[in-house]
Amino acid sequence: MSLLALPSARDEAWRWSDLSGLPAIADAKPTGQPRSVDDLWIDTPGPRLLFVDGAYDASRSNPGPVQIGPADANAGRHALGKLAGSTGWTLTLGRDCATEGPVQIVHVATGGANHLAADIRLDEDAQASIVESFVGEGWVNRAASLRLARSARLMVARRFLHESGFQSHADTAEIGQAASLTIASLVAGEADSRLDGHLTITGIEAFAEAGGALLGRKKQRHDAAFVVRHAAAHGQSRQLWRAVADEQAVTSASARVEVTRDAQKTDGEQSLRGLLMARTAAVNLKPELEIFADDVKCGHGATVGELDRNSLFYLASRGIPPVEARAILTHAFVADALARIGEDAVREAFEATANSWLGMIA
Amino acid sequence: MCFDCAQHERIWNGNVMLKIENLHAEVDGKAILKGITLSINPGEIHAIMGPNGAGKSTTAYVLGGRPGYDVTEGSATFDGKDLFEMEPHERAAAGLFLGFQYPVEIPGVSNLQFLRTALNAQRKARGEAELSGGEFIKLARKEADALGLDPEMLKRPVNVGFSGGEKKRNEMVQMGIIAPKLAILDETDSGLDIDALKAVGHGINTIMRRPDRAVLLITHYQRLLDYVKPDFVHVLAAGRIVRTGGPELAHELEREGYGQITDELAA
Repeated sequence: MSLLALPSARDEAWRWSDLSGLPAIADAKPTGQPRSVDDLWIDTPGPRLLFVDGAYDASRSNPGPVQIGPADANAGRHALGKLAGSTGWTLTLGRDCATEGPVQIVHVATGGANHLAADIRLDEDAQASIVESFVGEGWVNRAASLRLARSARLMVARRFLHESGFQSHADTAEIGQAASLTIASLVAGEADSRLDGHLTITGIEAFAEAGGALLGRKKQRHDAAFVVRHAAAHGQSRQLWRAVADEQAVTSASARVEVTRDAQKTDGEQSLRGLLMARTAAVNLKPELEIFADDVKCGHGATVGELDRNSLFYLASRGIPPVEARAILTHAFVADALARIGEDAVREAFEATANSWLGMIA
Repeated sequence: MCFDCAQHERIWNGNVMLKIENLHAEVDGKAILKGITLSINPGEIHAIMGPNGAGKSTTAYVLGGRPGYDVTEGSATFDGKDLFEMEPHERAAAGLFLGFQYPVEIPGVSNLQFLRTALNAQRKARGEAELSGGEFIKLARKEADALGLDPEMLKRPVNVGFSGGEKKRNEMVQMGIIAPKLAILDETDSGLDIDALKAVGHGINTIMRRPDRAVLLITHYQRLLDYVKPDFVHVLAAGRIVRTGGPELAHELEREGYGQITDELAA
């Protein structure tokens, strides 16, 4: 692949990402020897799908209503999303249908690049929950289209845990009347990442939430850029990102709310917080509001700081050694981003993943 | 026997738990403690009283090892070991507990998780077996019940949304679970209504009033001493202990205020 085709730091929307390593990663050959993924399945009923280097492994999957084949991820002109192609998996749920437990999907990669599209359509009053985990090496690139009809409900939780390479994901969502979409992401691996989302509220009284925890160390770069567009009245949206950077890492989150002229009574909230674990690390936060309606409520906050010294001393005075005290307080910092995950078993698994990254003893 | 002679006799005879000698300390380059000497034996409760700005909280923080509170002269030993050679978490594992005037809130971390981590870290440091989840919850419930703290509050994030009284009760529950040798309680009575004050006093007596434990109670007012009877009362003023006596000294201070002492110092 050509470097010319990729956006550079000169593009405003990509200025905190570094895609310069992607061609070299993509040129490498996958080893075809995936690591074990047994530890990634969460103990819940429901369909399970395994993709190895982007290829569906039918022998180790139980797809339920999920189908493999052509998929329109509706990624438009998104620089990475459009590379995801037009095959992948689809989940279509008819009126009043629900999956039995969350749909768990594990993507394991062994190097090189793999691309996959996903198309999720929920008809009126349908309900689904999707949990995806990304592990391995190389560049994993995904694009997903999420379409929710009236009163449909979808919860998506993703863990990005690559040991090396690059992880990119782009969502495009349309949320109909009184429907509810929540996307929670946890980035806690050793590879760089770029997460994008463009969520449009198309029906009245709909709800959209996007957020997560970005954990970076060494020279990692994580960048999340989400836009929630309110195109209908009485909508609610929440964007809650927690960015942690240690050593020379750079973690960035930009969250934009767009309110069109007709989207009166919109209630939007953005909470972006950064935690610097070392003076050599960096956190970039960019809350943005673009409002054309005149009767809306949009709250936004962005703060970056270090761990509170009083709290660290309080923990030390109770006998907790410094490394563990820092882990506990960092866990506390990201906890509310993971608290949005509805199912207890899934949330606990994500918390355990975050804690293990933080080196916290359970 | 005069009071001073009684003091000397107990120091010579006892195996001293905390021995502070000529302690000088500064904060941000400003000298706050200017030569504190004090010995605490197992089984004793000592109260340090004094006017605002005397160095009471600084004494607690210096002994607890708070960063930014620098010892410039003097020494302190705890069970014969150099206290200032130990990191704050090592002091805790050695048996020192610091009760905070303003306990810190930790959103996202439950009391149970926090305390189990703390207790097991201390036990590990002492080479003792760690407590299982079940054993720990039993212990925590027992201590919460004893202090009149709703055990449900143990599931809530540390001190988040707690009233002033609940925070101090929570400090006592922590002290009960950790079971330290020496508790240094910094203005534990501040901001408490009468019921919470009684509960805190009861907590100190039940948990710490034992022959092998000791308390250093730092307070501005005499009222907590109605519930926790000290064996010794020290008056701290301008960074030094200027008077030492028995419980009656606290009553005298309550009656006459700190004015006379500060006047004497100024003279």
